[in-house]
Amino acid sequence: MSRRWAKREGLGTLAFVVAAVVAAGCGSSSTTKQVDASANQTIVFAESGLGTEGKQTQAAIEGFEKANPNIKVSIDVLSPNSTTYLQQLQQRFIAGSSTPDVLESDVTYPAKFAQAGWIRSLQSFNPDMSQFFPTEGAAGMYKGQVYAIPWFDNPEGLFYRTDLIPTPPTTPAQVVTDAKAAMKKDPELKEGLAFEGDKYEGAVTSYLTTVAPFGGKLVANDIDSTGNVAALTWLHEAIYTNKIAPEAVTGWQEGQVQEEFTSGHTAFAINYPFVAAVAAEGGPAKGHTGLIPFPAGPGGSPGSALGGEMLAINAKSTHSPASYKLIEYLISAAVQTARAEATGDPPSLPAAYTQALFAKAPYFKQVKVLNQFAQPRPVSPSYLQISAYLQSALSSVYANASSPSGALSTAASQIKTLEEG
Amino acid sequence: MSAEATPEALAVVPARSTVRRRRAPRRLPHGWALVREILFYLLVLIAVAISLFPFYWILRTSLESNAEVARGVGGSNGLLPSHLTFSAYSNDFNQQHFLTPLLNSAIVALGATAVTVVVASLAGYALARLPIRGAGAILAFILIAGFFPVLAMVGPLFLLFKELNLLDNIYPLIIVYLVYTLPIATWLLKNFFEQIPKDLEEAALVDGATPLQALRKVVIPVAAPGVFTAGILAFILAWNDFTFAVSFLETPAHFTAPLAIVNFGQSQFQVFYNRIDAAVVIITIPIALLVLFAQRRIVSGLTTGSFR
Amino acid sequence: MSAHAQPAARPVAPPRKAQRGGGGQARAQRRLGYALVAPVVILLLAVTAYPLVYNLWNSFHRVNLSIANQPRSFIGFDNYTKMFGSSEWVTALERTAAFTVVSVFLETIAALGLALMLNRNFRGRGFLRAAILVPWAVPTVVSATLWKTMFDPRAGFVDYLLGGLHLPGATTTWLAGVWTSWAAILVADAWKNVPFIAIILLAGLQVIPSEVYEAARMDGASGWQSFRRMTLPLLKPALGVALIFRTLQAFLVFDVIYIMTGGGPGVSTETLSFLNWQTFLVSTDFGYGGAISVMLVVISLIIAAIYVRVLRPERVA
Repeated sequence: MSRRWAKREGLGTLAFVVAAVVAAGCGSSSTTKQVDASANQTIVFAESGLGTEGKQTQAAIEGFEKANPNIKVSIDVLSPNSTTYLQQLQQRFIAGSSTPDVLESDVTYPAKFAQAGWIRSLQSFNPDMSQFFPTEGAAGMYKGQVYAIPWFDNPEGLFYRTDLIPTPPTTPAQVVTDAKAAMKKDPELKEGLAFEGDKYEGAVTSYLTTVAPFGGKLVANDIDSTGNVAALTWLHEAIYTNKIAPEAVTGWQEGQVQEEFTSGHTAFAINYPFVAAVAAEGGPAKGHTGLIPFPAGPGGSPGSALGGEMLAINAKSTHSPASYKLIEYLISAAVQTARAEATGDPPSLPAAYTQALFAKAPYFKQVKVLNQFAQPRPVSPSYLQISAYLQSALSSVYANASSPSGALSTAASQIKTLEEG
Repeated sequence: MSAEATPEALAVVPARSTVRRRRAPRRLPHGWALVREILFYLLVLIAVAISLFPFYWILRTSLESNAEVARGVGGSNGLLPSHLTFSAYSNDFNQQHFLTPLLNSAIVALGATAVTVVVASLAGYALARLPIRGAGAILAFILIAGFFPVLAMVGPLFLLFKELNLLDNIYPLIIVYLVYTLPIATWLLKNFFEQIPKDLEEAALVDGATPLQALRKVVIPVAAPGVFTAGILAFILAWNDFTFAVSFLETPAHFTAPLAIVNFGQSQFQVFYNRIDAAVVIITIPIALLVLFAQRRIVSGLTTGSFR
Repeated sequence: MSAHAQPAARPVAPPRKAQRGGGGQARAQRRLGYALVAPVVILLLAVTAYPLVYNLWNSFHRVNLSIANQPRSFIGFDNYTKMFGSSEWVTALERTAAFTVVSVFLETIAALGLALMLNRNFRGRGFLRAAILVPWAVPTVVSATLWKTMFDPRAGFVDYLLGGLHLPGATTTWLAGVWTSWAAILVADAWKNVPFIAIILLAGLQVIPSEVYEAARMDGASGWQSFRRMTLPLLKPALGVALIFRTLQAFLVFDVIYIMTGGGPGVSTETLSFLNWQTFLVSTDFGYGGAISVMLVVISLIIAAIYVRVLRPERVA
C-alpha cells in the first residue's frame, strides 16, 4: 500500500460522501403510491415502552392481526426516555425513511412534525374527534386539520392522603393549611407537598396543573399574565415561605415524587395517575389515595395538565390505509379498557371508562374527572423551544435565583423573539 | 547466559518486572519516615475509599427494593441497607434477558479493542520512528477525528447507515467506536515508541534481526505498558458508549449493555435504580477482574543497567 | 551520570537525515511508514468524513428541518455571525472554558498524585490499581445518575457525610445553586476521569528507568528536586497526551451535565455541547448546529496546537 493509494481511497470516500450528502439533500416525491388496506403487507409501528406497557401493546397488536390477517405489524422499540425517543424519531424522519408507518407521539409533538412535513394529515380518513375528551383533540391539530389521534391520556392532578386530610381542599390556600396540619399530625411525613421541579419537561406540566386555578392560561403570546405569575408565586412560596415543599424538589422528577407519596413521606403530590396504581400495591398510601384536580382559587377553575400519547402516520409511508386501521383498532373502547386494566394508562375515550374498569381500579373515576379539566400546553410547532425557555424560568425560580414575575417576563420576551424570528 | 542485563540479553528476553529486585530492606522506618509511611498508606486508603464508595452504593442499591432506594441514607440504617433482596438481579436476568446485551457489548468492545491495539501500534510506531512526510498533519487529523462532537456525527452517520442498510447491527459499531479509541491510542503509543531508546532496536538489528522481528521481539515487549494501557482505555471507551448505540440499534436483541440498562431501568415515569444498578454490578465485576489481570502486565519494560 | 539527567542523555530519535544505507533505504522506510499509518487514517476517515462534510456544508446553508420543503439556500457565513453575536453562545463558551480550566487543573494534580502513589511498590498496589479503574467501568449514564442521587439533600451521601463530620454545608441542596451545581458536576466528572489521567501518567512514569532516580539520590537531590528536575521533564510526553485528551473531553462535556442538572438551575450549567445538542434536537436547525459543531472542532484544534507547542519535547542537538 503506497501513500498514493491511500490518498485515492480517501478521495473515493470523499466522493461517495459528497454524493450521499447531495442525495440526502434532494427530497423524494411528495405523493407516494399507497398500498390498499386489503393487500398483504407489513407495517412498522414505533413505540416506546418495554415491560408491562410493551407487553400490552404486543397483546393489542396480536388482536389486530387476528382481525386483519393480511396485515402484519412489526414493532420498532424505541427508548422509554422521552427525549431520546424524540431524537430517534427525528433521525428517522430526517433520513426520509418511509418507516415507521405508525408512530406513537407525545401530545406536544404533532404540530412540529406536521409543520416539518413528517406526518401526514388524517383528515381524509374522516376521524370522529367528538368521541374524545374536549381538550385532547386540540393537541393533534395543525392548520385546522387532524394530524394525530389521542391514544391514551394522562392528566396530571393533585394526590392527597385521605387518612390525613379527610376533606379535600377547595382552594390553593387550603392546600397550604391542610399540608401544614398533616405535617403536624403525622411524624412520618417529611413534607406537605411534593412536585416535579427538576429542569425538564415534567416541571412545565406540574406548573401547568396550578395555572388554571389562578385564572392563568399557558399560551405562547401571554406567558407572563397575572394568573400565570400568581401560580408560579404560589409554588415558590410553597418552598420558601410556607415551607410545605422541600428545596429538594429542584431535583425531583415523576419517579421521585411518586416514591415520596407511596412511601408516605408527603401529604400532597402533583403527579400523573400511575401513582394511584403504585400506591395500591402497598405502603402507607394504600387505600388512602385521593386524586383531585388542583383546587380553584377565586376567579380560577380546577387545574389539570394534559399529558399522554397520540398516534400519527409517517408522511412518507406507503401503507397509510392499513396504518389508519391499526390506529382505529388501538383507540377502540374495548382495547383501551383492556390496556387501562393492565398498565394503568388512562383511556382517551370516555366510552372506555366502563363500570368494570372502575370496579377493578376505582381511581379511574377520578381520572375521568381530571380529563374534563386537563389543559394542553401551547400547541405550536416551536413548542420544544418554548418549553426550553419555560424550563429555565421554572428552574431558576425553584432555585430561588429569580422572582416568578421576573423569570416569566424573561421567558415571555424570549418566546416573542421565537415567534418573530 | 549471564545474569547481566546487557543490551543483547534484553533484545531477546522479554522484559520482566524489575520491581522484585528493588525491594527495600525490611526494617521498620522510624521518626519522620514512619510518619510519612503512615500518611502514605492513609492516602492510599482515601484513594480506594473515594474510588470504591460509590460502587458500594451501587451494590447496595442493587440489593434493595425501589422504595428503600428512594430513601437512601435517610432510611433507618443510614449507610447500611435495611433489607436485602435479589429481586433486581432475577428481574434483570429472567425478565429482561440481560445476557444478550452483555454479549453484544462484549463482542463490540473486544472487537474495537483488538483493531485499535493492532492498528494504533503500527501507526504509533511508524509516526515515532519512520520518516513520514506530513507526520504532523496526520497526527492533527487523528486528533480532529477524535474530537469531532459525537452529537454532530450521529445524525449524518444514521443517514449513511440507513443507505447502506447497516442499521440495527452491532458489527458496524466496532468501526464507529474506533472514533473514540484510535486517536488516544495512537497518540499514546506514538509517545511511547518515541521514548524507547533506539539502542535496543539497533542492538537487535546488529544481531541479525529484520526490522519487523526487531519490532516484535524488542520494541513491543518494552512498549508493553503502553500497549496494555491503550488496550484497557480502548476497551472501556468502547464499552461505555450510549449515544451511537441508541441511534443505530433498533431491536432489543441487538442492544448493547448501556442501552439495555437504560431501557429496562425505565418505564414511562418510573426509574428502577435497583435494576439498573444490579446490571452495573454484573458488568463491573468482569471488567474489574479483567483489569486486575491486565494490570500486572502494565509494568516497566526497561530494566536496570541497560545503558552501561 | 549527573543528577540533572536531561532527555538529551537518552537519545530519543536520531535526526531523520542520518539513515543507514542512504536514500534508497529512506524511501523504503517512508513507504513502510505510510503503509503502517494508512489503516488508522482510512478507518477514521471512513467514520468521520461524511459527518464532517455534512456539518460543514450545512453550516453555510439555511437548513432548518422543522419547516417542510424549505430550500437549503446558501447563506455564507450567516450562521457563524449569528453564533458569535449570540450572548447564549458567548456565555456558554465562557462557562465551558472555565469548567475546562478548573477541572483539568484539579484532576491532573490529583491524578499525578495517584500515579506517583501507584508507581511506588507497596503491598496492595495491584488492588489499588484495579480499584481506581472501577469508576471507569461504570457507564457515564449510570455514574452521572448515581452522583445526582449522592448530592440529593435527603437520600444522598454527601450531605450525610458533611453532617456526620459536623462540617458546614450539610443541608445544601447542591443542584439548586449555581456554584454548588458546578461543584457537584466537578466531583462527578473527576471521579470518572482522574483514573483516566492517572493511568496514562502511570504508564509514563513506568517508562522512566530506575537508575535515573538512583543517580539523583546518589547526587543528594531531595525528593521534590528530583521530581521537578527529572521526573517531570521525562513525564512530559505522557502528560502531554493526558492533558490534550482530557482538556478536549472537558471542553466537550455533555452527558454528566445533561443528567445531573439539565443545564440548570436556569441556564447556568449549559455548556457549548449542551447548546449544540439543544440546537440539533429542539430547534432542529442543522445549519446553525453545524456551525456550532464546526466551531467546536476549530477550538479543539487550537487548544491541541497550544499544547503541542508548549509541551514540545526538546529536540536532540
